[in-house]
Amino acid sequence: MKNKLTFFLISSMGILTTVHAGTIKVVTTTTDLKSITELIGGDKVSASSIATGYQNPHFVDPKPSYIIGLSKADLFVTVGLDLEIGWSPQLLASSRNTKIQKGAEGYVDASQGIGLLQVPTSANRAEGDIHIYGNPHYWLDPLNGKVIARNIANGLERVDPSNKSTYEANLQAFFKKIDDKIKEWQAKMAAFKGTKIIAYHNEWVYFETRFGLTIVDFMEPKPGIPPSPSQLVKVIKEINANNIKVIISSPYFTTSSSDVVAKQTGAKELTMATSVGAFDSIKNYFDLFDYDIDQLTAILK
Amino acid sequence: MKLKNVYLILLTPTLSISMASFSQVPADSTAADSALLKQIEQQMQSNSQPAQQPQQSRSTLSFNPDIGVIGDFQGSYISKGNKNFNAYLNETELSLQATVDPYARADFFLSFARDPETGKYGVEVEEGYLTTLSLPAQLQLKVGKFREAVGRINPTHPHALPFIDLPNAYVNYFGEEGLNDEGASLSWLIPNKKFYQEIVFQLTSGLSNSPSFYRGDNNHLLYLGHLKNFFTLSDNATLELGLTGITGPNDSSRTTSIAAADLTYKWKPVQMNTYRSITWQSEFYYGHANLMENLSINSFGLYSFLQYQLAKRWFLTGRYDYAQKPYDKNIVEQAYSLTGGWYATEFSKIELEGKTTDDNVAKRFYQAWLRWIFVIGAHGAHQY
Repeated sequence: MKNKLTFFLISSMGILTTVHAGTIKVVTTTTDLKSITELIGGDKVSASSIATGYQNPHFVDPKPSYIIGLSKADLFVTVGLDLEIGWSPQLLASSRNTKIQKGAEGYVDASQGIGLLQVPTSANRAEGDIHIYGNPHYWLDPLNGKVIARNIANGLERVDPSNKSTYEANLQAFFKKIDDKIKEWQAKMAAFKGTKIIAYHNEWVYFETRFGLTIVDFMEPKPGIPPSPSQLVKVIKEINANNIKVIISSPYFTTSSSDVVAKQTGAKELTMATSVGAFDSIKNYFDLFDYDIDQLTAILK
Repeated sequence: MKLKNVYLILLTPTLSISMASFSQVPADSTAADSALLKQIEQQMQSNSQPAQQPQQSRSTLSFNPDIGVIGDFQGSYISKGNKNFNAYLNETELSLQATVDPYARADFFLSFARDPETGKYGVEVEEGYLTTLSLPAQLQLKVGKFREAVGRINPTHPHALPFIDLPNAYVNYFGEEGLNDEGASLSWLIPNKKFYQEIVFQLTSGLSNSPSFYRGDNNHLLYLGHLKNFFTLSDNATLELGLTGITGPNDSSRTTSIAAADLTYKWKPVQMNTYRSITWQSEFYYGHANLMENLSINSFGLYSFLQYQLAKRWFLTGRYDYAQKPYDKNIVEQAYSLTGGWYATEFSKIELEGKTTDDNVAKRFYQAWLRWIFVIGAHGAHQY
């Protein structure tokens, strides 16, 4: 009797795991990873993102409703480097899904192999919200998109080896498009090489490095610490001294302090997109850079 | 002054880089500069011990669990009695958390707490449990000592609550420590695609020191069932409805049963979720204590709070408590409290609470608390 029951349980589990709805279910933490997953997976995958493109990826609320998708996922893709430390480990642990736990075949850390910037030499919270592994906003360099895509393709091929050739072909097409687009983007940005700007939060270092901008200072005195009056005074002085034209920010920060600085200095405020979906027109990873570069070049002209 | 500045730069962790640039000092630097540099180099050598190369891979290559320490310092005032003011390190909580193996994770919370009567500090395992990660059929098993699944307040560690004292009704039934017992907990994620539904069943020894339950010299254990329903109303709003039933032995070697319901509405705009939010949370408790052959006492209690986030760092919480004493439902407490919180960062917050309590047997009294919560090390995520 006991053997029969065990057999029944095991065989029914087997049926549950082998019968996919035809597609590989992928849950990503952010919309950028979702977009790249869709570009690599094509019609073989159905992807969803936990965070939206207009919210702060550090502070996503771990709503239990996200567990429903995670419990059935074949692949989980994370930005990593502790970007999602406040919410994704808890959701993963509650998902009851062995396939996507850290270290399992269905777990993809998209940061593997990224050339990291701003890796701190000490872990000290007196410096604000620093990330001990390095700045985690690496997807904002389109060339890092290639590394992310390679990691995602590896993950898809692990959980779905039968479609490897499709994933590889899509990956090569993605590489080619990035190579083509980067020339276009760099050409647009060439005239502004070395241009000094102010940013709200320290999340643009990869973008800055790729496109040759110089971020002089941040509205936040330290990462995660809201702008203080003394910081505003400092920024105003820096803007005047360097003739800085623009303060860049993200959709999830208030503009009140930037408004003050803009009023005092005449510098313009620009809300850039940090992720796919930040604004309605940004449908995929390529649109993200098209949008940001068009906005930025228009304002710097 | 110049020397001091250079010296400070050298002491920063960019030590090796600065050293490297020193060896490339251009040949045309003046003799005075060279002497200065030499002096700095010498000073550096004598100071180089504490400024060792930092270990960058602090946790990447170690099996040590994530370790965190939470301090809870409080000051308090009460309008009745002779000892009106007090200040104390209410609790020091040490958390140790890690994955055990591919099949499970473990969480330990050790509490170094102060006994309010004696003022002495003692250590106890606040929680210590193993959680499976690999059971089939959407099941999850937890074994050990854990805060039980009664609604919203009980599973939450007090430092994470938006007020300093606990609701009167909750304390009447479960005590200051809450219902925290040893045993097993099995939870099942109901395969419902429309909304999140989870059923939890807990079987524990009944040894916990809660006012309602007492394990006598017999095999009467504590049973708890909880159904959690979580609805996503919109991107910005959610509703949680929970139902709990508990039954276990009481100190008359008979049975006490408690039915509880919790209702939580949250509004948190996705785009600006760090600046604005509203939480309205209520819990209702109904107790049925069978004390003698023909004597049972039914009692009721509730709390309801509204928390409003005014700005990124500022929170205001108002709460109403209604509580019939479980041993005499004719004694009714009613209390109002207001808590203001300033959350400096994710790792530190200061709260101030004022409370007024009325009951129908004694005089109205007032209480106030001030608490400062601070965290070092790893900081586990909070429940939504």
